[in-house]
Amino acid sequence: MRPVTMYPRGEGAIASARGLVKVYGSGETAVRALDGVDVDFARGELTAIMGPSGSGKSTLMHCMAGLDTLSGGTVVIDGEDVGRMNQRGLTKLRHDRLGFVFQAYNLIPTLTAEENITLPLDIARRSVDRAWFDLVVDAVGLGDRLDHRPSELSGGQQQRVACARALVSRPAVVFADEPTGNLDSRSSGEVLEFLRHSVDELGQAIVMVTHDPSAGSYAHRVVFLDDGRLVGEILEPTAESVLDALRELGVGRRDRADLVGAAAGEFTVGGLR
Amino acid sequence: MTRVALRGIRSHLGRFLLSILAVLLGVGFVAGTFSLRAMMSATFDDIVNSGTNADTYVQGAKIEATGGDAMGGFAGAEQFPIAMADVIAEADGVAGVVPDVSGSIVLVGADGTAVMSSGPPSFGMGLDPGEIAIWMADGREPSGPGEIAIETAALERSGLAVGDTTTVVLAGEIREVEVVGEVGFAAPMAGAIMVGLDMETATAAYAPDGMVDLVGVYAEDGVSQTELATSVKATLAGVPGMDVEVLTGDQMRDDSREQWQSMLGFISTFLLVFAGIALFVGTFIISNTFAMVVRQRQREFAMLRAVGASPSQVFASVLGQAAVIGVVGSLLGIGAGVGLVAGLQQMFAGMGMELSGRIPLDGFTIAISVITGTLVSLVAAVVPARKAALTAPVEAMRDDVVTHDRASRWRTAAGAVLLVGGLAAVAAAATGVIADNRPTLLGVGAGAIVISVLMLALTIAPAVLGVLAAPAVRGMRPLGGLAKGNVTRHPKRTASTAGALMIGMALVGAASVIAASAQASVRDVVDNESQADLLLQSATWDVPVELVSEVAALYGLQRVDSFRVAPGTAVDGEVAPVVGAPVGFFDQTLTVPVVDGATAAMADGQAVVRELAAEPKGWEVGDTLTVAGSRGTVDVTIGAVIDSRAIGASVILPDQVLDTVADPTSTMTDTVFLLAEPGADIAQIRDQVTELAAPYVVVSVMDGEEFGDAIAQQVNQMLVILYALLGLSIVIAVLGIVNTLALSISERTREIGLLRAVGLGRLQLAGVVTIESVLTAVFGTVLGIGVGAGLAATMSTVFRDEGFTSLVIPWGPLGALLGLAVVVGALAAVWPAVRAARMDVLEAIAYE
Repeated sequence: MRPVTMYPRGEGAIASARGLVKVYGSGETAVRALDGVDVDFARGELTAIMGPSGSGKSTLMHCMAGLDTLSGGTVVIDGEDVGRMNQRGLTKLRHDRLGFVFQAYNLIPTLTAEENITLPLDIARRSVDRAWFDLVVDAVGLGDRLDHRPSELSGGQQQRVACARALVSRPAVVFADEPTGNLDSRSSGEVLEFLRHSVDELGQAIVMVTHDPSAGSYAHRVVFLDDGRLVGEILEPTAESVLDALRELGVGRRDRADLVGAAAGEFTVGGLR
Repeated sequence: MTRVALRGIRSHLGRFLLSILAVLLGVGFVAGTFSLRAMMSATFDDIVNSGTNADTYVQGAKIEATGGDAMGGFAGAEQFPIAMADVIAEADGVAGVVPDVSGSIVLVGADGTAVMSSGPPSFGMGLDPGEIAIWMADGREPSGPGEIAIETAALERSGLAVGDTTTVVLAGEIREVEVVGEVGFAAPMAGAIMVGLDMETATAAYAPDGMVDLVGVYAEDGVSQTELATSVKATLAGVPGMDVEVLTGDQMRDDSREQWQSMLGFISTFLLVFAGIALFVGTFIISNTFAMVVRQRQREFAMLRAVGASPSQVFASVLGQAAVIGVVGSLLGIGAGVGLVAGLQQMFAGMGMELSGRIPLDGFTIAISVITGTLVSLVAAVVPARKAALTAPVEAMRDDVVTHDRASRWRTAAGAVLLVGGLAAVAAAATGVIADNRPTLLGVGAGAIVISVLMLALTIAPAVLGVLAAPAVRGMRPLGGLAKGNVTRHPKRTASTAGALMIGMALVGAASVIAASAQASVRDVVDNESQADLLLQSATWDVPVELVSEVAALYGLQRVDSFRVAPGTAVDGEVAPVVGAPVGFFDQTLTVPVVDGATAAMADGQAVVRELAAEPKGWEVGDTLTVAGSRGTVDVTIGAVIDSRAIGASVILPDQVLDTVADPTSTMTDTVFLLAEPGADIAQIRDQVTELAAPYVVVSVMDGEEFGDAIAQQVNQMLVILYALLGLSIVIAVLGIVNTLALSISERTREIGLLRAVGLGRLQLAGVVTIESVLTAVFGTVLGIGVGAGLAATMSTVFRDEGFTSLVIPWGPLGALLGLAVVVGALAAVWPAVRAARMDVLEAIAYE
């Protein structure tokens, strides 16, 4: 693990946060989920955000994607200040610049796979770029299942449809929250292959939150969060190097856990899975 | 398990709120009806007790007849000479004798129009000093034909004051009178207009030949009602040929009360039918709510089963929740019912109909309301509860609960069989293949069709909704498609939500077809049967006789025919309306198809009967009918059988015969038909007639077309009442849409979060919810109008003989109904849509 790379504003970074603070609750019960995070995500890269449970991974992603409000600091996506946007601006940002893949419940059950994929374009009333659509569908390898309903697809297939949907509007950046959390290892592999492929071949920027070291190994870069702070990164990671880094964090955490009495065991299980 | 059930309600109160509201509205209507009935009954009791306060009554022999009811009238009594009062006064123990001399009157108010209520009558009565319930609140008693006194409430409504001069129409004549007094009466008059006259004037007007219906007798101190009655009876027994009845005051009051009660019973049954419809519609909401809650709690039930709860325990816990909702809704509903009645009381008071001040709420009303509300709630929850009970414990381990929401084959098959049966019954009734009991057959068939459509709604929902949604899917991408997906995802839910609306819409649709057809039928009759150039009718249902003779004196009129109705008559011992018409009325003024005999036989004192009445009774030309009325009983021969739709009465007597049966002052001149001589200037005659009628205030002059309009107007007024009553069930059905939307939105929280995350704006989301709502509403309305209007359309063939000759489908109003469905759907969506739009995106995604 090494210190986190920072980019000068506007050069290479498609999404960046400065001094990002997120506090839940107030007074004595206040929890600082994010405690001054500075981070840049590069264009054309698959970045994984990792860290122990409760480290603030998901919060970081939600704040950067404009799904949650900021308590302090700034988030800039593709040159736009997300923190200053109103609901309307955020809605527009979501369908124009962002793509999302969640852990589960990614698809509207009443729509076919194809309708699910083109949903963001329909919402934005934009026409479908057929060539790009074909390219994306081809990449996820679902050409023959486009008129199936989600209930007729396997978990891995559903998740690939979700990925295709996130990519179809050519967003500036795709945020994926535990995209393989509900999948077996084989389906996980397919989805991660596709994500990496879309970055390498299609030039997409993807930010992925995961707790799975082998998922992290598909990324160009893994950044590590602990206790709401960014603690380091690994470039061109492997499953082993990610696991080592997590262990290192876990040890550090366990030391602290003796003082606060927090449950660190949960993380160890998650890290070793 | 009880704790689980109660906590379940408490923690998800919002889910059950609309169910409680549905019970509340339905039960409110039930409780309101009973309490309204009790209030009206108390009001009439007060009137009866105050107005019928003598210790003993002597009345003419009752006309022996069966079949009287609140709709067809009651059998009257024969009259006897007023001179009998003097004989009665001789009996032992008599303190005073008051003959009842009263009848209709028209009082002109300060603004020059008649003082009238829409329902209660206006009547004049002779004031007798012996009458204890009446006193002079102001001024003095009237004396002589030029003076009147007016009851307090009526005086207030008339705008007149003691000392003013005004006009009354008494015994068919216009009279200038002075208001000399204000009459106090011991009970609120419920809107009736009472005008006091001096005894001599009243006798001249209402008993010109010295015959009365009733005499009240007051006892001396210490003489009981029974003793007085016995003594009066003994005295009257000495008078030869005197056939009268002597009743104690209590018996008389009971008799009067019985007649009121029977009328009130009819009204409350009528209202309860609508309360029943509202409650039935309410069951859809409750059933839907429980179905959705059970679905959401599937895992919880599985867990309970896994830890050892038996299916019957789970069943009981769900039913327990339904019982709580039923009881809570019922109790609130009783409060709402009382509030409703209090509101009605205020409204009636504002319209000049003072009712008894108490709003009675007895144990019976409370019990019946709670029982009804709870039963409705329990019945609605049975199917969902059964489903909950049948949850397999293994479901607790499953990741996602899959429910199959498809029409069961059994249900579809049963629905289809019922539909075919219903259609066959209706077809048989319409074509007359089965000639007996066609109305019953139609009713049964209609019921079967309505139920089968409710059952089949689930099967056809996806297809029909697909068609209905097509414009939205194409025109509003992607909102239309999403909305369509949502309504077709759970067809059962959509079908039962729409089914609730369907019931109300079917009734409204049927009513509008029937009303339009009835109006057209009336016009048909006017066009085909009535040859009259002008018609006179009175708002009091009695055209003044003086006016009729004035009009008859005009030049250019060939015929002036009064069509008179006699109240309280019986034919062959059965209560039946009998009317009188002048000889030559048929064929000249009214051309009717003669089935048998000749209407000219009226000149020989023979009767004309309608085929519709004659056929079931086996009457034929040459048969003898025994007609009884207040003047006595006569035997008349049937001279002709006619097939008329203009006349509602079954027996038409020549005027001279009617006058021997019924007291001419009590018969009501319903309509006067004027037939001009050929070539006469009708416009000019009309002007003259209008000028003559003007002082009578209540008489309208119409040509055939206006007559049709006037009847159409009456039909429309009835429709308004009907729509208002059906409105409640439609409101409840709309609450059902709100309910279903709100619950399914909370069920879809995650999905909504996802849609918002991929960029769906709040307005767009609200749009999806609105389209869903409108689709559901339109689906229910289309089914309802189809069923209602379709069934009503067959009525014109089944009820052709009853005067239902024309079939008119009022496309305009039906189209407006569909438009209303769109509006109603959009309104129903407002709250759920706002809720959905306000959902926090992040929370929606994180929702477990």
